[in-house]
Amino acid sequence: MDSFDLVVIGAGPGGYVAALRAAQLGMSVACVEKEKMLGGTCLRVGCIPSKALLESSEHFETARDGLKEHGVKVAGVTLDLPAMMKRKDRVVRTLTTGIDGLFRKNKVARVEGTARIAGPGSVVVTTAKGEETIAGKHVLIATGSRPAGLPGVAIDGDRIGTSTEALSFSDVPARLVVIGAGYIGLELGSVWRRLGSKVTVLEYLDRILPGMDAELAAEAMKVLGKQGLSFTLSARVTGARLDGAEVVVEIEGKDPVRADRVLVAVGRSPSTEGLGLDAVSIATDGRGRIEVDEHFQTSAPGFFAIGDVIRGPMLAHKAEEEAIACVEWLATGYGHVNYDAIPGVCYTDPEAAAVGKTEEELVAAGTPFRKGRFPFLANGRARTLGRTEGFVKVLAHEKTDRILGIHILGPRAGEMIAEAVAALEFGATAEDLARTCHAHPTLPEALKEAALAVAGRALHV
Amino acid sequence: MTSPDVLVIGAGPGGYVAAIRAAQLGKSVTVVEKGEIGGVCLNVGCIPSKAIITASALVSRMRQADRYGISVTGVAVDMAKLVAWKDSVVKRLTGGIGTLFGKHTIRVVAGTARFTGPGKVAVKTAAGEEAFSPGATIVATGSRPVEIPGFSFDGERILSSTDALALSAVPKRLLVIGGGYIGLELGIALHGLGSEVTVVELTDSILPGTDPELSAVVHRTLKKKKVRVLLGAKALGWKETPGGLSVEVETKKGREEIACDKVLLTVGRRPNSEGLGLDLAGLPVGPGGFIAIDAHCRTGAEGVFAIGDVAGQPMLAHKASREGIIAAEVIAGRPSARDWAAIPAVIFTDPEIASVGLTEAEAAAKGIETVTGKFPFGANGRALTLDAGEGFAKVVAEKGSGVVLGVHLVGPEAAELVSEGALAVEMGATLEDLALTIHPHPTLPETIMEAAEAALGHAIHIYTGK
Ligand SMILES: Cc1cc2nc3c(=O)[nH]c(=O)nc-3n(C[C@H](O)[C@H](O)[C@H](O)COP(=O)(O)OP(=O)(O)OC[C@H]3O[C@@H](n4cnc5c(N)ncnc54)[C@H](O)[C@@H]3O)c2cc1C
Ligand SMILES: Cc1cc2nc3c(=O)[nH]c(=O)nc-3n(C[C@H](O)[C@H](O)[C@H](O)COP(=O)(O)OP(=O)(O)OC[C@H]3O[C@@H](n4cnc5c(N)ncnc54)[C@H](O)[C@@H]3O)c2cc1C
Repeated sequence: MDSFDLVVIGAGPGGYVAALRAAQLGMSVACVEKEKMLGGTCLRVGCIPSKALLESSEHFETARDGLKEHGVKVAGVTLDLPAMMKRKDRVVRTLTTGIDGLFRKNKVARVEGTARIAGPGSVVVTTAKGEETIAGKHVLIATGSRPAGLPGVAIDGDRIGTSTEALSFSDVPARLVVIGAGYIGLELGSVWRRLGSKVTVLEYLDRILPGMDAELAAEAMKVLGKQGLSFTLSARVTGARLDGAEVVVEIEGKDPVRADRVLVAVGRSPSTEGLGLDAVSIATDGRGRIEVDEHFQTSAPGFFAIGDVIRGPMLAHKAEEEAIACVEWLATGYGHVNYDAIPGVCYTDPEAAAVGKTEEELVAAGTPFRKGRFPFLANGRARTLGRTEGFVKVLAHEKTDRILGIHILGPRAGEMIAEAVAALEFGATAEDLARTCHAHPTLPEALKEAALAVAGRALHV
Repeated sequence: MTSPDVLVIGAGPGGYVAAIRAAQLGKSVTVVEKGEIGGVCLNVGCIPSKAIITASALVSRMRQADRYGISVTGVAVDMAKLVAWKDSVVKRLTGGIGTLFGKHTIRVVAGTARFTGPGKVAVKTAAGEEAFSPGATIVATGSRPVEIPGFSFDGERILSSTDALALSAVPKRLLVIGGGYIGLELGIALHGLGSEVTVVELTDSILPGTDPELSAVVHRTLKKKKVRVLLGAKALGWKETPGGLSVEVETKKGREEIACDKVLLTVGRRPNSEGLGLDLAGLPVGPGGFIAIDAHCRTGAEGVFAIGDVAGQPMLAHKASREGIIAAEVIAGRPSARDWAAIPAVIFTDPEIASVGLTEAEAAAKGIETVTGKFPFGANGRALTLDAGEGFAKVVAEKGSGVVLGVHLVGPEAAELVSEGALAVEMGATLEDLALTIHPHPTLPETIMEAAEAALGHAIHIYTGK
């Protein structure tokens, strides 16, 4: 029986990063993954393929509608969907095989198969060849999550599917219904709208992008609506059924909607079925998530858990950060994640990105704050890109000026938010941000101006 | 005689920002501008050049659209439309400054200013002349392109950057003299729009002054684009030929005649300090024609401040704006000084270059021992989804303390990414601070985080050995 310092279950951004970092720190490491491709949800059927399609579909829309104004002419524009999908697959393959290479170089033992916890320090892997038991001084569970279902909606993986199917539709559905206006629904809804679908987004709440700042979400809805996404809010979907070649989606108190395909994007559930948590009495919470302490220890000694399978935002970089903190704590006794500075990005066009507290959270907590806002309309770089929608909002403490939250809707907001995270992480004040020299003409000048606006002294509004 | 609290000469990014800041601080302000509000930057510099670069990048992308699974036929450029769009961008922004001036009740005088004595300025306007004795004067007259022997701008064959930004047709063959950022930005943009481009550069490298490791990446893409680059080459003169122009160039291998249709001359800029009556104001002009200033943007003459391109290198819009704020705050009695840790510089080539703080060589020259971490965009997920895996991020830190001294990027959106580096340098962050800051996935700035990790010896997505 092979035995390791650390056995990692799952090779998503949580698991593979933990495996690599542990190997760097001198541990012997095995990583069990049931899929052929490493990289987990994120690389196979999440972040990466979705962004590849978002990029391609944006170019398609630009080619069709966005050139004339800039003095660029084209004679004909046609979509080659199989080629677009092939490019997406190529990007995924490059990155997932890159992880294989890193495993080899760092001498991480990769075990292909499905893992089940057999007892303390013991994991049984069902491989193509049979069962294999491996021992780990520490076992790290990073099994991630899978799309959540909705009562009454039978996901058939064809007409009624999840994000995984929506990343690989073989044709452009004439009518697509997206259930759920979180970032996954909006991103994939945008992809298919750009490629020609008529997209209707149904959302249970009375707003989109739950969890994000309400002002930002309201503006995003306006902009996305103008682009042609159609929203029905406060819509409780009670069922979806096939009717010939169509799908009928039933909504409580509203007329049913007919579509050619339905994308269910109502959240994700932790993956723990068949994992044998009971074998060592690992406790889970009411939502099926593995309970952990601040060092990611579960209720069973020697067993740890990180990523989508535990509490907190289901985001790849959160999983990665937990991976590093967990493994470094094991190796050195130090390791910490600052949950107040985890950014979130929605890659629609314009992008929405945020870090820290929303305005509603500050109001609810009774924290006195000042707000600075700056529109991209007044930013030179945004003008030269012809992309002027959205704004930056900086929230700072009224007394200390310390930055509490930054919310951006705009071009490349996802790239811009890194500076905001650093500012929050460094404990910067709005004035620190305002006094940092920002290059001209660049988009982050809008961040500087919003920081200036906190003190009522923006220059360009 | 009019006596505003503050008189600003020149309404570029230095002058207009100084005017707005002074007005915010309660001063009465008059701005004198002989040309257009917004100066070089908004009218014939940063803004129009970036608009043309945007359009050019669109053309290149459409020509390679099949990469994304889109077939696009018949890509062509409608230069008149492109120029109209660019002009509309410029007009919106300069109009915006005009509106802000109105809201801040800043008076604008259209005319040419000159000093007539200490603390005295005369402005020649269309209507005649107006005399001022302001409380303080801010000189923000900027700079203009320079010529070289044998080449004088004629707007027709020998073009300045200003002429190039107003072209009504894409030249078939363009010769760029001067491989600095202005020449390369415009050269690459026109290449994207269809020109055949040759670059002649006097020194041994394109983008002199830039970290050679960064410029090498741009040099490689120039080669891929089949832009011919002649280094260590000197343009001697030109003549008209039946088919266009012929430019004589002295190269390392001897003299060469290069045929082209237009010459773009971008060999540097010179401060606008002549004809201003600076001697009458009691203001000596320093080496290179720059006005010397202290940490508070004060000149040698009582009550006279200078900012921006006319006050010294680097000739960058955001440096001008920053000095504008400082001058205004000093005039208003606020404690304010040019004590920045770092000024970023951005270059909109393909791929972009952006840099803030010290390079390894600069640190070494100061006797500082450094550690460096590098991370390639080729190993960054976001870059691959964008089809832009060229280039890298580099973080330079002091050995031992790990204090970040510089962040240098060449790659996609480098200009937008460098502000995080500027903040890190400005706030005295360490490598670990950058490494432990959670960067969202998948985004380009993850490369900065991984470069910091690499400097610490443990990047995740590249193997750095043990
Ligand atoms: C469409 C979509 C887009 C997304 N976009 C983004 C984005 O832009 N940014 C972002 O931050 N996040 C994004 N996410 C979320 C992100 O993918 C997840 O947060 C992230 O993948 C979680 O990482 P993880 O390591 O915890 O789990 P996962 O990535 O889910 O990896 C878990 C792995 O464990 C394996 N596994 C499970 N059980 C077993 C077992 N018993 N034995 C062996 N292997 C097992 C699974 O096969 C899987 O490979 C997106 C998700 C989706 C669906
Ligand atoms: C093609 C090009 C691209 C550029 N791109 C960038 C870039 O991307 N980023 C960047 O940071 N910088 C860039 N620059 C440089 C930038 O434009 C300058 O650094 C900036 O404009 C300097 O600002 P300023 O206020 O000092 O002077 P200017 O912008 O030169 O403004 C000076 C103003 O003073 C007026 N003036 C002069 N003399 C008088 C007088 N006697 N009376 C009245 N008015 C007078 C002039 O008409 C002018 O409007 C670029 C420059 C060029 C040419």
